[in-house]
Amino acid sequence: MKSKVISMDEALDVVKDGTTLMLGGFIDVGSPIKSIEKIVERKTKELTVIAVTPGMAGFGKSMLYKNHQVKELISTHVGTSVESTEAYLEGELLVKEFFPMGTWIEKVRAGAMGLGGILVPVGVGILDEEGLFPKLEHPKQTLEVNGVKCFVEPALTAEVAIIKAWRADTFGNLEFRGTSLNDNADIAMAGAYTIAEVNEIVPVGTIDPQNVGCSGVFINAVVQGYSVEEQDAIYRDVWLKKGKLEKA
Amino acid sequence: MEVREIIARRAAQELNDGEVANLGFGMPTQAINYLPEGVNLIMHTENGAFGFGAKPTYESANSDISNAGSEPVTLLPGSACMSLATSLGAMRKGYIDVTILGALEVDQLGNIANWAVKRKNLWWPGIGGAMDLTYGTKKIIATLQHTDKAGQSKIKKKCTLPLTGKGCVKTIITEKAVFDVGESGLILREVYPGLTAEDIRAITEADFEVATPLKEMTL
Repeated sequence: MKSKVISMDEALDVVKDGTTLMLGGFIDVGSPIKSIEKIVERKTKELTVIAVTPGMAGFGKSMLYKNHQVKELISTHVGTSVESTEAYLEGELLVKEFFPMGTWIEKVRAGAMGLGGILVPVGVGILDEEGLFPKLEHPKQTLEVNGVKCFVEPALTAEVAIIKAWRADTFGNLEFRGTSLNDNADIAMAGAYTIAEVNEIVPVGTIDPQNVGCSGVFINAVVQGYSVEEQDAIYRDVWLKKGKLEKA
Repeated sequence: MEVREIIARRAAQELNDGEVANLGFGMPTQAINYLPEGVNLIMHTENGAFGFGAKPTYESANSDISNAGSEPVTLLPGSACMSLATSLGAMRKGYIDVTILGALEVDQLGNIANWAVKRKNLWWPGIGGAMDLTYGTKKIIATLQHTDKAGQSKIKKKCTLPLTGKGCVKTIITEKAVFDVGESGLILREVYPGLTAEDIRAITEADFEVATPLKEMTL
């Protein structure tokens, strides 16, 4: 099986100014933080970012807003970080529409699974209220199915997806750790070109087929991120600083 | 006793043994510290797990085990990790038995608003999973301080902020009162020790009936 392991620099050449970029992770846990650091370094700009939340304050995805690299955000939340909040309130970050989290992830999953879209009942009677969001480009279309009124929500896809897993074999089969699966496997399939950042790269045959959380068939490139030890150290310190952990 | 502790202590009494519970940020998560004797919950976290436990030590924290607030947690025996889609699906489909949510406003029809405020004349939207949670969960407990900083009632006749859920709240708990949401409006069930129904009437915009007998909160 062909190796998909390449350098991070080579992989990130697909991310250009104006790219629509889906990023995995939940408030920057299970997030491709090393790739994001590289994108910040490369100063790629005018990105349209599709992510479940803007990121963790002062960390990860938030640095993209801090460095004025994001033009538009398609998400479920504007303010999980100070940086995205400020960019939004300053009029720098465009939020044309946003979705309840369940709707957002199903739109991404529909994009992943080759569906046109989804029917979702959540928010009917609230999000389609007149004048709620004047900037809303596409007024909500509703359809009644089996007696339930639903929004018709088109699928979400992206030119490039960058996800995070624990380990990958050289073909790109991925295994996830803890709660870090979150949206990564669905985002992997929704991207036209998918980069998987992992803590560990192992030979083909290492990962038991029943433990593969995302097949290498859905992955275009595998890049080396922080090791598990490095990652644990980074997050422990971030959490310590935020008062979420105490030292013995 | 501090306001937040009163609310957390009283809210914890609404939880029953074996329930699958999702506790929102802030005061709701504190309810876990005051669970009644014999009440063990299956804690759900929106980012994708059932059965998470207390926070770990610094030395043992796992950078891949977090809750919906991106805080480190532990996973108990019998816990399960799942994808975000499955987690939100569980919320939408009604697999979560009970949720305790913070609220910016509630009203006498059982509506709850907790995701949008105006900043610099722009709506600052942060729905997250709140709408899926209020859509699917049968038992919704809203917790909030009784009045805002200006002394205005946060229990309204009609919510002024964009709604999270319509007609979905079952119980409202403040540091001063406990209301049930009934078919025809709010029912004042309990008051903080020493307060009367009239005291609550004076600080509450919403209409409400008074239960007979009117009980005092036991904390």
